[in-house]
Amino acid sequence: MTHGFFDGYLTDDFFDEAFEADGVPRPHYRQLIERFASLGEDDIRHRRQLGEDVFKARGITFTVYGEHEDIERTWPMDLFPRIIPAAEWEVIERGLAQRVTALNRFLDDIYVGEQAAINDGIVPRWLITSSSGFEREAVNIPVPNGARCLVAGIDLVRDRDGVYRVLEDNIRNPSGISYVLENRAAMMKVLPAAFREHRVRPVDQYGRALLRALRNVAPPAAGDSPTVAVLTPGAFNSAYFEHAFLARQMGVELVEGRDLVVDDHVVYMRTTGGLQRVDVLYRRIDDAFLDPVVFRNDSTLGVPGLMAALRAGTISVANAAGNGVGDDKAVYAYVPELIKYYLGEEAIIPNATTYLLWDPDQRNHVLDRLDQLVVKPVAESGGYGIVIGPKASDEELAIVRHNILNDPRNYIAQEVVSLSRSPSFTDDGLAGRHIDLRPFVLTGDRVEVIPGGLTRVAMRAGSLVVNSSQGGGSKDTWVLAPIGQPIDPPVEDDDVRDEELG
Amino acid sequence: MLARHAESLFWAGRYLERAEGTARLLDVTYQGSLQVAGSEGRDVWAHVLDVLRARKEFDRRGRELDEGAVCTFLVTDRRNPGSIVSGVARARENFRTVREHLSSEMWENVNRFHLDLQARDIAADLTGEPYELYDLVKVRCQTLGGVAAQSMPRDETYSFLRLGWMIERALITCRLLNVNYASLGHDDYDALLLTLRSASALEAYRRSFQSSTNPIHIAAFLLQSRSFPRSVLFCLQRAEHSLENLAGLSTTRNRAQRILGRIRSQLEFTDIAEFITGDVRATLDALEQSICDIADVVANQYFRVGSEYSLQSQFVLPGEAMV
Repeated sequence: MTHGFFDGYLTDDFFDEAFEADGVPRPHYRQLIERFASLGEDDIRHRRQLGEDVFKARGITFTVYGEHEDIERTWPMDLFPRIIPAAEWEVIERGLAQRVTALNRFLDDIYVGEQAAINDGIVPRWLITSSSGFEREAVNIPVPNGARCLVAGIDLVRDRDGVYRVLEDNIRNPSGISYVLENRAAMMKVLPAAFREHRVRPVDQYGRALLRALRNVAPPAAGDSPTVAVLTPGAFNSAYFEHAFLARQMGVELVEGRDLVVDDHVVYMRTTGGLQRVDVLYRRIDDAFLDPVVFRNDSTLGVPGLMAALRAGTISVANAAGNGVGDDKAVYAYVPELIKYYLGEEAIIPNATTYLLWDPDQRNHVLDRLDQLVVKPVAESGGYGIVIGPKASDEELAIVRHNILNDPRNYIAQEVVSLSRSPSFTDDGLAGRHIDLRPFVLTGDRVEVIPGGLTRVAMRAGSLVVNSSQGGGSKDTWVLAPIGQPIDPPVEDDDVRDEELG
Repeated sequence: MLARHAESLFWAGRYLERAEGTARLLDVTYQGSLQVAGSEGRDVWAHVLDVLRARKEFDRRGRELDEGAVCTFLVTDRRNPGSIVSGVARARENFRTVREHLSSEMWENVNRFHLDLQARDIAADLTGEPYELYDLVKVRCQTLGGVAAQSMPRDETYSFLRLGWMIERALITCRLLNVNYASLGHDDYDALLLTLRSASALEAYRRSFQSSTNPIHIAAFLLQSRSFPRSVLFCLQRAEHSLENLAGLSTTRNRAQRILGRIRSQLEFTDIAEFITGDVRATLDALEQSICDIADVVANQYFRVGSEYSLQSQFVLPGEAMV
């Protein structure tokens, strides 16, 4: 079988999502590859342009913080989607649910439980208390159902053998879900026929699932229809598009700190009809900015008195305060142990091989191989502060060495994962580019994994950096339905307002 | 609805109406300047600034008052919050903050409008033939009005948007008459054309008063017409309607309704010949001020909920000292 369009395509020495090493298409990509091969180059160029126009017209942008001026960029989506077959996804889904369940159990144990994992010697106490994400103010504030990470974004990568591994957990304010839904909406416009040929599971139930989970953590006093609002830092935040998107998907208000007042431990929003009580805040601002009374007193983003209201039990916030201890990258290394401890199961999705640097043996090993490893600060997110050994200069490595010796608790080292590649449309034609995957997991009264997630692409040749602020792109991610099962998920609660993708 | 969102909508309406009014005014003035006419020698570009109450703001730029400077100031000057480009950008920014309240059509139209203006070589428009640019702005603004009417439920979102839109429109018509009134009369047909065209009122006026150049007729039409959609009365009636929607089923009139109702009925039931005798400028200034007062009362009633809320509005247009 020849596929003229893909003739020059090389898998090199990587795990390619679409092709076997000998260049034969993997079975679940066969149809898509034939579809692309049947389109002419002009047609493909036209469709790529159409895709870009869709994002531009809909105002789907993100802000790149620049030195002089912040730049508004149109969201980049690659025309070649990523496909995950049903059987593969079934394992990922179980693995994610397992991991997030264990993380929630752990956080509840630490903040409102007996700290059993510490007392039983699974995690050292000093590791928890020294974590910058550990929030003393959150101790003894319970969350209904223990759903402390109500929204989790777990970053997965595939190594050279095609094995999925967890690269990091994002359980504070993971973003990206709006782009998952918008990518899907755009793909259905630019490549409709391909959907007909595949049984792609939908993602647009996310808004209702999120609202359902949020209502589930409302304080008991809120009654049957709790008032939910999304709390944003404001229109200048780089993720503002997503905040507005989620408020729209759920049909709830999008509030800023200045829209809220706390009176007698009750949180209200200022509306044209006067003050209205809020029961659940889906907050998209960091812990440090939540409440200037308790945290940073120079913050104007938060709500004075919010923590006291939380303690009084008149309101819930999601994700809960203090989740940072759970995605501390040093704690990450213990998650497989935590899964075993809380659930009595082996971790379904393994971690990437990780070294803890306060341990003298591991540290020495790492310092010897610094140019072959990735070093990450434990508390950062969004790719900040990461040094990739094989690509780093001697000076950078010297600085890292110094930093590690100075504060070994603050860093971890990992083996470089040779990320899998996917065919992508680049300026130089179709070529293999490295990708990762951020699936989203919701926890309310049950755990729900949204099929697929955000596939990010490092558009520069050879690059492992997928962050959109650094030239990364994205792909629509198709999880295929198992043969013989209905594509649509069962409809369960009709009281939740369903909204068209705006 | 959040008080902040209501204010964003109110001002988005004002910015869009201001953009359309400015485009029309510049278009008509430009056209008028192409032929030798009675307006020759009159300071038509200064009049444009006066209608928009933008003279002071312009003077601060320290530029000589000529066609090029006025057009640049009113079309592309980003530091002028009332310029067409910044007005549309601000309307889009306001809509972005209330995105979840808008229909997709509404958002996508205003977004495209903004992007098209950004992509356009406006400097070339202004030095060449600006007709297309002004036409684009007018048509897009009118389209937005139509899209709002056809795609949005008649709820608070729509009411605040319309309220801002109508108040700005009433102000522009009122000031247009005020600035041009002195030049009307004396059988000056060019002044009549300029005034009525600037309010897009010429054809409608002719159906009522044919080619009468009587200033009373023109004033009556622009102030009192019950059918012309840019007359001050018509705009105030629509604004009243929006306030009524906002008040819901309340049994008594609120403060904003009472003040607006008083001004509207005074205008509606007065004999225009009497209204317009004496110091016309002072009379129209007072009318303009009372429309601004309505905007203030609306702001206090709906946008300033909660005691310690900052009283400073984040939104401005030149020539107004709204608190």
